[in-house]
Amino acid sequence: MGALDVGGGREHGKKKKKKVRRRLGIRIDMTPLVDVAFLLLTFFMLTTTFSLPQVMEISLPPSESRSEITEQTLLLIRVLEDGRIFWSFGTDKPRPIAPEELRGFLAERATMNPNMIALIKVDRKCKYAHMVKIVDDLHLARISRFSLAPLLEQEKKIVEQAG
Amino acid sequence: MGRPKKKRVGISIDMTPLVDVAFLLLTFFMLTTKFRPVEEVQVVLPDSHSKFKLPESDVMTITFGKEGELLLGVDSQQLRAQLFGEQNKLKSSIRVTLDELPSLAQQARAINPKLRTVIKGDKDAMYGPAEDVMNALQKANIARFELVTNLSRE
Repeated sequence: MGALDVGGGREHGKKKKKKVRRRLGIRIDMTPLVDVAFLLLTFFMLTTTFSLPQVMEISLPPSESRSEITEQTLLLIRVLEDGRIFWSFGTDKPRPIAPEELRGFLAERATMNPNMIALIKVDRKCKYAHMVKIVDDLHLARISRFSLAPLLEQEKKIVEQAG
Repeated sequence: MGRPKKKRVGISIDMTPLVDVAFLLLTFFMLTTKFRPVEEVQVVLPDSHSKFKLPESDVMTITFGKEGELLLGVDSQQLRAQLFGEQNKLKSSIRVTLDELPSLAQQARAINPKLRTVIKGDKDAMYGPAEDVMNALQKANIARFELVTNLSRE
């Protein structure tokens, strides 16, 4: 039964004259420590935000620059106050399009005419999110050349008549 | 003679590795956590499919809230002290008017040319303020800027 006797093994080999001091087996109850550690751990895990928000790049042409474009390459996108979207090429009659169809439409047009330039005119009373969505759709359709312009009152009327 | 009574074994598990791992994770999270700065206005971000992340430094943020509040913020304290004065050093963003915006933006860019302009607009805000901000930026010769969005889940 000597095998179970921890620490006894040494004494077999070498007899020591000095009195060996018994090591006291110190036992600390670590449970509260662990509790606190886990509490803090969960706190930091839940509060950490790893994901930074995304950004969407917009580069507008400088205000002085004038670029010559033909009417057929300029896609006008007009957004009315209530979020209805109208598109037209050049001075054509504006045609309505559903917001969820815009992405497909733009992709199609972009493949047909890679030089296309988009001009977005959004009503001031419209929601900001609408504009973000259209810019996002343009990005998805890989149309990188676009600009923003204010929607004029007379344009509103033209669009209203068409719609 | 009945069955011999089973002796209860006092189980003691060595918790040391568990504690080690817990503390390791704890230190990791403590060191990586960056608390979100207190915002003057609550802004609900619109969604987009853009995959670019917001840069961590050298950002100038123009915030507009639902009610048309307009705020300008820069991420470095030093620059904030230079732009808005020593007393506003600790505020993440300062309320500004539309007329002040172009000159402040230009000043900030003059001090730190690496500064990137970021527009943080509320989803439900009207487009009007956004248009004004973009016009003001064009006045300050900032034609490239970014819109802060959330990643859309569709």
